[in-house]
Amino acid sequence: MIPMHFAPIPAVFLFATQLTHLAPVDLAILLLYFAMVIFIGFYVKGSTNTSEQFFLAGREMSAWIAGLSFVSANLGSLELMGWAGAAYQYGILAVHWYWIGAIPAMLFLGIVMMPFYYISKTHSVPGYLQLRFGEGARALSGVSFAFMTVLMSGVNMYSMALVMKVVLGWNINFSMWVGAVTVAIYVMLGGLRSAIINEVLQFILIWAGAALIPILGLIEAGGWTNLKAQIIARMGDPAYMHIWSTTGSFSSNPMGVQWTGLVFGLGFVISFGYWTTDFLVVQRVLSANSLRAARLAPIIGAAFKMFVPFFVILPGLLALVLLKDSAGHLIQLYPDGSDMVVNHGMHSFNEVLPLMMVRYLGPGLLGLGITALIAGFMSGMAGNVSAFSTVWTYDIYGAYINKKASDAHYVLMGRWSTIIGMIVSVGTAYLVMSAASIMDYVQELFSFFIAPLFGTVILGMLWKRASKAGGFWGLLCGTASSIFMWLAVMHDKANIRFMILQPHASADTILRVQAMAANLYRALWSWIVCVIVTVVVSYMTKATPESQLTGLVYGSTVIPHDGSRNLFEKPIFWAAVIATILFILNLWLW
Amino acid sequence: MTEPHPPHVDPSTEGELSIWFFVGVLVLSSGLIIFGQGIYEFSHPGITVLANLHPAFWWGMVMVLFGGFYTFRFRPRND
Repeated sequence: MIPMHFAPIPAVFLFATQLTHLAPVDLAILLLYFAMVIFIGFYVKGSTNTSEQFFLAGREMSAWIAGLSFVSANLGSLELMGWAGAAYQYGILAVHWYWIGAIPAMLFLGIVMMPFYYISKTHSVPGYLQLRFGEGARALSGVSFAFMTVLMSGVNMYSMALVMKVVLGWNINFSMWVGAVTVAIYVMLGGLRSAIINEVLQFILIWAGAALIPILGLIEAGGWTNLKAQIIARMGDPAYMHIWSTTGSFSSNPMGVQWTGLVFGLGFVISFGYWTTDFLVVQRVLSANSLRAARLAPIIGAAFKMFVPFFVILPGLLALVLLKDSAGHLIQLYPDGSDMVVNHGMHSFNEVLPLMMVRYLGPGLLGLGITALIAGFMSGMAGNVSAFSTVWTYDIYGAYINKKASDAHYVLMGRWSTIIGMIVSVGTAYLVMSAASIMDYVQELFSFFIAPLFGTVILGMLWKRASKAGGFWGLLCGTASSIFMWLAVMHDKANIRFMILQPHASADTILRVQAMAANLYRALWSWIVCVIVTVVVSYMTKATPESQLTGLVYGSTVIPHDGSRNLFEKPIFWAAVIATILFILNLWLW
Repeated sequence: MTEPHPPHVDPSTEGELSIWFFVGVLVLSSGLIIFGQGIYEFSHPGITVLANLHPAFWWGMVMVLFGGFYTFRFRPRND
């Protein structure tokens, strides 16, 4: 998940009553879903007996399935709720995280990077780094991935339990353990194949469960044009409904972003860093059944990603003018953890999606919506736990602890590490429960690694001269610089002004930038540091012999024709179509 | 060197359950429940906003059609 600065889920709740309750028909739908995911785990177990089957789904996934699970692995419920809340808080600018902050990177992954990932026959991003730069880079990225995936699984688990408590009044421990045990069962049995099938199901469920909200909302608001007018009238600021024209300076839009941060920080470094190197998403594309499918999968994912704002951003915008109490007065939402939320029982930004659900969805439909949310959380847990078990088995255990075990042994280790990973995630979830600010830190932690990792991987794939030492030191220095910048800002917010190259920035600018934009600039700088160090150290050290670069780098790799027989089968054609639609959408909402 | 097209393996012709079959079953069964609720709401109107548009009835119908198509199309067949 691309790091967001604000806490995605409120940390403390003191509500006396929940938002709603489930009718028997709602429970029936929920139980149907649980029964199906467990059945799938048992059904698939029979065909997950080799390590390639368990960790890479046998590399048999079609472009559509790999593509849908690719976008679904990223579309967790944390994100759904968090971004609906962001749309309520900042207006339509939030859509950037789905458009420029995702589509170019996904297309780039499919067209440029996939051939090197796929042809190298690697199983993971650390695996590619080991082939290209040696053990140092693999160890660094492997350990950080293992740590992050277990943490993210715990965060998903706790967030799900919290949402169920707020929306339905369920006991937090009950929700956590039921979720943990269910996911552990189906991932331990079926490995990545199980996780992918459930991600595709989750994706369908989310559309089925959430798409009705913007449809009914637009009917109630009187259409898109009316909605825009009402929002601008309520907020008194047209910047709530423009995505580019108000990004000339930090102070001219509600989010405090400037277009350079959006284009270079978000659109380039952060989004490329995440979508091209994040373990979870790359693992799904590696499971594709051919090079052509591997290239098409991110492109298919990009097409669907482009339309996700319809049921994530739009409900947040609709809530600005439609969320009313029984007397017909507009309800105001507040930041999480704020005084109004904690001490006065008001609702927070992140509750916008459940509130809109409860507004429109009666028995049956509500059950579908809640099931979709739960499915989203459980997919987040499953994806992270299966990623953890892969990184642990291949890149830590298999690489350093027991290098000569049989394939069956590694599969067994995969199953055991799934269970242990889930137990550790439960521990993390309790940790997050007791120290709510950890949630903020998790997002920041994530951002330390991805921008420098992108620098290392892209140089590895496109520049033959990048040496092993260069790759390792670039990754290390880039990561260290990111941590350093984060600490500097923690110590004194005013240090942000150096990151945005405005030594005389006003206090107001600093505050605005800190809210959302600081991460973007930190990513950009840490990427630059990684690239510079990689280049300098590479020239100072021995080049890797050409024979060791075959299949790993542009210029040393013969990329086979992917078998496309006509224009419509070529991935690049569809990438161009998606890019054109993206351009038109950005113009439309300029 | 041209990479060959992978052999077209259609799991539904080999007795193995396809992902799309699971999708169909889940959407069809939830759709039937929601559609049933929608019919019930003609005589027992709901209290949500815009309940007069009968969203459960229409959305349930869409889900039954979509789910039914996928269930039928990707049903396991032993040839």
